[in-house]
Amino acid sequence: MSRVATPAARLWPAALARTLLAVVGGYAFTYSAVAALARLLPGEPVDVVISATLVSFLIYTLYVLWAFAVPLRRALLSLLVIPPLALIGFWPNLFAGAA
Amino acid sequence: MAKQASVTQSMSGLHTWAGLIVGWLLFAIFLTGTLAVFDKELNWWMQPELHDTGLDQVSAVRVAESWLRERNPDASAWNIGLPTERGPSLSVSSGEQRRGQRTQLDADSGEVVVPRETLGGNFFFHFHYTLHMPRSIGIWVVGFAAMAMLVAIISGVIIHKKIFKDFFTFRPAKGQRSWLDGHNASAVLLLPFHLMITYTGLAIFFLIYMPAATDVLYGGDREALFSELRPGNEQQVERAGRAGEGGRAPRAEVPAAQMLPLEQFIGRGEAYYGEDMLGSLSVSNPDRANARVEVRPVMGTRLELTKGESLVFNAITGEVVGAPQPTRTTLLTQKVMAGLHFAQFGGYAMRWIYFLCGLISCAMIASGLVLYTVKRRRQVKSDTRWLRQAEWLNVAVIGGLMFACTALLWGNRMLPANMAERELWELRVFFGGWLLALVHARLRAPLRAWAEQLTLIALLLLAMPVLDMLLAPKALDGLRLSVDASAAAMGLILGWAAWRVVCQPQAVKKTAGETKKIRTSRTGVTS
Repeated sequence: MSRVATPAARLWPAALARTLLAVVGGYAFTYSAVAALARLLPGEPVDVVISATLVSFLIYTLYVLWAFAVPLRRALLSLLVIPPLALIGFWPNLFAGAA
Repeated sequence: MAKQASVTQSMSGLHTWAGLIVGWLLFAIFLTGTLAVFDKELNWWMQPELHDTGLDQVSAVRVAESWLRERNPDASAWNIGLPTERGPSLSVSSGEQRRGQRTQLDADSGEVVVPRETLGGNFFFHFHYTLHMPRSIGIWVVGFAAMAMLVAIISGVIIHKKIFKDFFTFRPAKGQRSWLDGHNASAVLLLPFHLMITYTGLAIFFLIYMPAATDVLYGGDREALFSELRPGNEQQVERAGRAGEGGRAPRAEVPAAQMLPLEQFIGRGEAYYGEDMLGSLSVSNPDRANARVEVRPVMGTRLELTKGESLVFNAITGEVVGAPQPTRTTLLTQKVMAGLHFAQFGGYAMRWIYFLCGLISCAMIASGLVLYTVKRRRQVKSDTRWLRQAEWLNVAVIGGLMFACTALLWGNRMLPANMAERELWELRVFFGGWLLALVHARLRAPLRAWAEQLTLIALLLLAMPVLDMLLAPKALDGLRLSVDASAAAMGLILGWAAWRVVCQPQAVKKTAGETKKIRTSRTGVTS
């Protein structure tokens, strides 16, 4: 048996947490990153939407790989980046709504 | 997790799990996608009542025009599906519904031909991106699988560096690590294809999968984005077309007018799109002063996916009133990606390359799935229950789906041609066949199940030319014979696979010891 053959019972929660983080957290991360990109990229809106959306799959893929490569705690910390990114993307929408 | 695993280890675990969990889905997506490369050819094969009259498009249009003028002089629109290289049939319909019920005409006599109802090759195409679920759910499931494929490909590359080293660390194997080798070879050789086909697949529905940018800049209104994207001319044409049909100018008020013979528009269209590049021709407000003729190219005049593109003429004077505008760069990027996925460019040579690459992708996914169980069988003595599940599911999905597809083709020939609800029965044959294979896989020991299913599928495929000759002898033409021959060729390959399973189970066992060495050097590969 291999070295890291810890009992399955202890491995499952960690694997599940990581998978959830990668799939759900990854989507949330990608969503907010693309939102920020859409706000920051120069150019006409139609072009920006297409460019930002086409790279989203690359962002998502890299995030999933990264989430599996680093310690779980550090991967979880990455969730903190989501609100600021989303804010960059959506602040004019939100601001306009408030005003 | 007391000790952080190395990157290679965690990537290996990710590869195994992402691959295993969506591997079954991916096999179904890739196999039906591969078959969908020849969807039109399969459509043709599955309606043996249609025959290739060899008539050119100009004469075909003449036949269709007189038929439509006689039967539907007052229709708001006429639509003519032209005979093409990939589907030599002539079809007509009237009214706005271009996709509605089409009437097949014999291009020689101008008489109506009623072909059997069939799912056609279209079934594989739709299954490929919806898995026969409701479309909105299906494309999400397929999109999820495609993302997992992307992750599996890249994590596979990362761990492969290590495997590559292993190759030289150990002596060349005496027995065989054929599953690992097969998986690696098919994965590495076609790495660009796997990456391309997966990413471009995601790019087709990109705005649905990732609405963030649309949400930010268009308040989530995709239609607003599309209307901005549509080049001005297409919008106008659409408005012009609609105005003619409804509201502004009721048809009766528009005076009758003499249209140019429709056959002339073939030449005009070909002057723009190139010879043999037209797929359909439609007329709005036929025989009225505001009549328009629209010619559509077959897909594949360019790398860019040109779905829905058309050239519009004034039907009375013959002048061009709407030509496709060049696509803006960003959209062109997306459309080229979609075009790369749809494989409509480059003619039959490209089509065969995609088909063969697709088959190799299927083989890579299947060998990956089998590799998992082969490795596990020697490894974890305690968890045989899960292993048993994976083993029979492998047979049920890989063998079962191949059986179901073969059964569908057989069902197409065996079911009575004029049966009521025939499409539904074909569907029942497909899913019923799959269910049978699933039950069989569950009941038999894995190797037996493999051997029996592979043998059966191989025999069915090998017998397809015979079946075709017996049940539809008059329909045999180059296109249908190619389908038969390809089926037989795949039967040979699967027969070879079956023979390997039957004759060499010892070889698989013999490699157990040596694979163990590899495994222990890659600790934590599977947990």
